Amino acid sequence: MDSIKTEEEMNGLKMGENPLIRLLDVSKVYHLESGDFTALNHVSLDIMENEFVAIMGPSGSGKSTMMNQLGILDVPTTGELLIDGRNVAKMTPLERTHMRRDTIGYVFQKFYLIPLLSAYENVEYPLILKYKHRDTSGKAADVLKSVGFDKEMSSHRPNQLSGGQQQRVAIARALVNDPKIILCDEPTGNLDRKTGLQIMDLLVGLHQEGKTVILVTHDAKIAEYAHRTIELDDGRVVES
Amino acid sequence: MRDIFFDLSVRSVRLNFMRSLLASIGIVIGVVAISSMGMLGANMQLSVKQQLSSDVNTVMISSDVVRTTSTAGVPSTSQGVTKSQLNDIKNAAGTNIVIPIHRTNSQFTIGSTDGRGSIYGFDPNDIEKFLTLSTGDIPRGANDAVVGSNIATNFNLVVGSRIKIGPPNTEDRPTVRVSGILPSRGFASDGINTDNAIIVPDTWYTNQYGDKDVYDQVNVIVKNVDTIGAVETAIDDKVNRRTQVIRISDASSRLTSITQTLGTITTFILAIGGISLVVAAVSIFNVMMMSVNERVHEIGILLSIGTEKGEVRRMFLYEAFILGIIGAGVGGICSLVIGYSVVSAMIGNTAYFFLPDSILYVPEGMLIGIVVCIASGLYPAWKASNMDPIDALRSE
Repeated sequence: MDSIKTEEEMNGLKMGENPLIRLLDVSKVYHLESGDFTALNHVSLDIMENEFVAIMGPSGSGKSTMMNQLGILDVPTTGELLIDGRNVAKMTPLERTHMRRDTIGYVFQKFYLIPLLSAYENVEYPLILKYKHRDTSGKAADVLKSVGFDKEMSSHRPNQLSGGQQQRVAIARALVNDPKIILCDEPTGNLDRKTGLQIMDLLVGLHQEGKTVILVTHDAKIAEYAHRTIELDDGRVVES
Repeated sequence: MRDIFFDLSVRSVRLNFMRSLLASIGIVIGVVAISSMGMLGANMQLSVKQQLSSDVNTVMISSDVVRTTSTAGVPSTSQGVTKSQLNDIKNAAGTNIVIPIHRTNSQFTIGSTDGRGSIYGFDPNDIEKFLTLSTGDIPRGANDAVVGSNIATNFNLVVGSRIKIGPPNTEDRPTVRVSGILPSRGFASDGINTDNAIIVPDTWYTNQYGDKDVYDQVNVIVKNVDTIGAVETAIDDKVNRRTQVIRISDASSRLTSITQTLGTITTFILAIGGISLVVAAVSIFNVMMMSVNERVHEIGILLSIGTEKGEVRRMFLYEAFILGIIGAGVGGICSLVIGYSVVSAMIGNTAYFFLPDSILYVPEGMLIGIVVCIASGLYPAWKASNMDPIDALRSE
């Protein structure tokens, strides 16, 4: 009997069998002067290796808090968050820093390039963090080239680049340490439609190369690129 | 290839060039103050040390006037070194030269001009044992005298000039004839300051002032300077065996005492210079805090993409270090110029300026400047590295 093939199988890719990211009853509570605010409320979900996931939801739904948790910039108040099999809450701050550096690549809406470094140095920077010396292998230049960045512009500072160019540099920076997870926070939010689509094509390509891509957006058209959409509302998963 | 965190710090300093420059000027002033003051003090010490060390082989003995002795219930106070004590000193001193000295102060008149100075009474044969005349000869006659360089210059004295000794308007004042003139001796560590003195034969002195067998001071010139301690001990054992009646000192102890005093003064002026470094430290701290506060967002980016806290700290400490290097470098060069000028103007002698004891204040001042800068950057660097990356990213 012929089985129905998934899209991943048609692309020559197969999702992993074990979750790369696992949230088990995760809550995040902020203790404010006005009282406690629950940004994530008993969230449980799995994100498998090589998945392309979009996280959507209205403002205040907990998207940013979710991104901070997935990016290990914060730890849950209760519950467990496991990334690549490791419980984030039980890691030391330095271990979390190293996991951010090695396992996760960030792409931000406002690019967040380091203003004092050139485009090339921005891409080289994570390599320096990891190997404690300047890149002599040419990897930074290769990755920049792979995202379609004009080599002539490598020595330019971020403020001398267009939004699309900056986002390409940001993606190259996210990729250069070969992370398993690419975390994108509204990656097209600051770009025109055409450039936005080019960036999305890049992310699709990365997914096809085997990366797990997690995308936060409130643009439904952008979310259509993902294979699964997680809807958040009031700190809870309402649809997955 | 350079550390990227160092590059980031250099670029940050360049970006805020004027602010960094102004902060560094504080360090320049601090380094100049410390180095120049230090060099001034060191040159003073070296200069005095050089002057005093020429008499380092002389033991000075005087009566222990402070102490009151009691013999058979009758208190008595020593007022000079007695003849019998002098004999004991001579016995203890062995073959070394013993010079008994009479000393007082008196007014005198040369021509129609009055003056005041020290009058020393020596055995004329002793004079040549430790003094060298620039003109004339030692006293040969009972009324001959040798005069110091200042008196000779101020009163235009030549060999053969006459000096009336004693207060003006006193009848029958004795007169001495200048037989020789001494060169300038400066501040002498053997206690015999001849520049403003008239040196007369001891017989003339005791005829005028009495005290025939009592001496104000006895100097022992030790032939071998290495034995000075043994000679002092021998004299002490001989003369002070029952009670302390004489006080024994030598140039080295005076030298130590004076250099210690000068050292204290140097430390004090260094502390005053140090105040300017404290002010500079506040300025550097302020600039570093501004740098951290202006780069909160950048710090957020660095932390969020996996920069270790220690690396962020290092970046800001590099920045403080760069400010320190600039300030200390310029300060070091200025210290050489200003220090040389100050030493030249205040001491009038730059012979010791480039000796290690003096010139080492420049690298020391520079090092202190750099350390102060780094210390000022510690808290801002710590603050930057301990930021919450989420809060830092949010601040734009």
